[in-house]
Amino acid sequence: MPLPLSKTFVESAGLTNIGRRRKINQDALLLDDQLGLYVVADGMGGHKAGEIASRIVVESLGDSMGNPAYDSDMMHPDDSFSPEANRLLSAIQNANRNVFRSSRENNEYKGMGSTVSVVYLQDNSIIGANVGDSPIYLIHRKQIEEISVPHTLAAEQAATGTNGITQPLHSLSHILTRAMGTHDSVDVHLCEIQRFKGDILVIGSDGLSNKVSREEISKAAQTLPPAEACKHLVSMANQRGGEDNITVIVIKIGHVASRLNSVVKLLMRFVGKVFPVFPKKRRTV
Amino acid sequence: MPILTLKFQDKSLGEYDLEPRKPLSIGRMDDNDIVIDNLAVSGHHAKIDMAGTDYILMDLQSKNKCFVNEEMVTSHKLRHGDVITIGKHQLTFAYKDDEEKPKKSGEDLYQTMVIDTSQHREMMKKSKQPTADADQPPAATLSLLSGGQGEIAISKKLFKIGKNPKSDYQIDGFWMGQTAITISQRPDGYYLSYVEGMSKPKVNGEIIKTTVRLKEFDTIELSRVKMQLVFKTPKKK
Repeated sequence: MPLPLSKTFVESAGLTNIGRRRKINQDALLLDDQLGLYVVADGMGGHKAGEIASRIVVESLGDSMGNPAYDSDMMHPDDSFSPEANRLLSAIQNANRNVFRSSRENNEYKGMGSTVSVVYLQDNSIIGANVGDSPIYLIHRKQIEEISVPHTLAAEQAATGTNGITQPLHSLSHILTRAMGTHDSVDVHLCEIQRFKGDILVIGSDGLSNKVSREEISKAAQTLPPAEACKHLVSMANQRGGEDNITVIVIKIGHVASRLNSVVKLLMRFVGKVFPVFPKKRRTV
Repeated sequence: MPILTLKFQDKSLGEYDLEPRKPLSIGRMDDNDIVIDNLAVSGHHAKIDMAGTDYILMDLQSKNKCFVNEEMVTSHKLRHGDVITIGKHQLTFAYKDDEEKPKKSGEDLYQTMVIDTSQHREMMKKSKQPTADADQPPAATLSLLSGGQGEIAISKKLFKIGKNPKSDYQIDGFWMGQTAITISQRPDGYYLSYVEGMSKPKVNGEIIKTTVRLKEFDTIELSRVKMQLVFKTPKKK
């Protein structure tokens, strides 16, 4: 449903599906257009533990970010990030601790964990954060790229060169090197990117990305409304086996007011120069 | 539980049980689970982790490397009968006769699992080896060629240049946008985006109206300021 944000227009939809083989859905998702917060978590662990882990991640993030009084509890915020990004990092660390604590306190949840991939929209930027292998794609001017980093053994091996690998990389692709809730703190990958009108973001679980190519995701997201794109992508993954749970969120960014504002501001300056009687508005920063 | 049998020149030196969820370390130092006192073996040479139902052998950046069935490996999913060679010693990985071996295909292939590589990463950092973390591009600066002097460190993930005093680097000018351009660090490098203002940036002489990926030594012009992107490589000892 399209919702006017403070300065922008964002249209989003999300869908999670159990797939065709699994008995339970261990994926969880969150969409909050008001907050500009979108989360996919893919849980792991036996019995119901994975389901619990992903749910704790999503609920904890929603609670922290949705609470205006929630402030970064980071003792040493990273100055290279914006305050909003630091706030998100802190909320992810908090969610990680909640999963870790729960796995420690309940024997049947021992060893559970989850991935997390978050898109946090700001007025002029996109903050993307991830732990694990749930991808975040950005489609900018018809070009798709992954703005998350897959924390898998295969990706780490590929990053250090393929020397010394005797097995196909995909056999290591489902082995994560980082996850939420397996330690008391977690290394989060985070990036901040300028946002533009027409940008589309897609967050998925590996149940989607293992079955549907980037090009197919890009095409569906560009040609279909978000809700239709989600249905189409999930159905594609299921038609190709659906061995894993499948989750997808599609976010389309509409008008960004600041670009229009700049033109209006420029015109006002001209008017101000020509007719100096106009009171000059002082910019406060 | 599978068993590792340590051999030297076909002579068995001991058997070690692999316990679920307990990493097993192999090396020359006494704090390893399997100690091989031989100079060809590194202090902490390799480790075996359990991921789901699989056992994964990882080389810990050892000097003389690990071999499985005579092929060098950095990480390897162990299979029944695999022979690991460390220095001149051999370790045979085998499941017990009455034990169920992990399935080779089917649903397990899609089961996500996590392996603890923090120890591996720490050791790589300590040994100053290139880390496997490809999270971030190298640190970079903008070296001013004209319109200013010195270097500007790209200190923010989203570095803003414009006439707004809150910009990370301020360039004044009537036609300059409040935030004229941004430079963002993404997993695969630095990207320049034109944001607003009549002054459009040029990269290597070409006007940019959208987003471009920057390469090292690209020149960026914005109004009267000309700068060059330079990567900072960590100093080698």
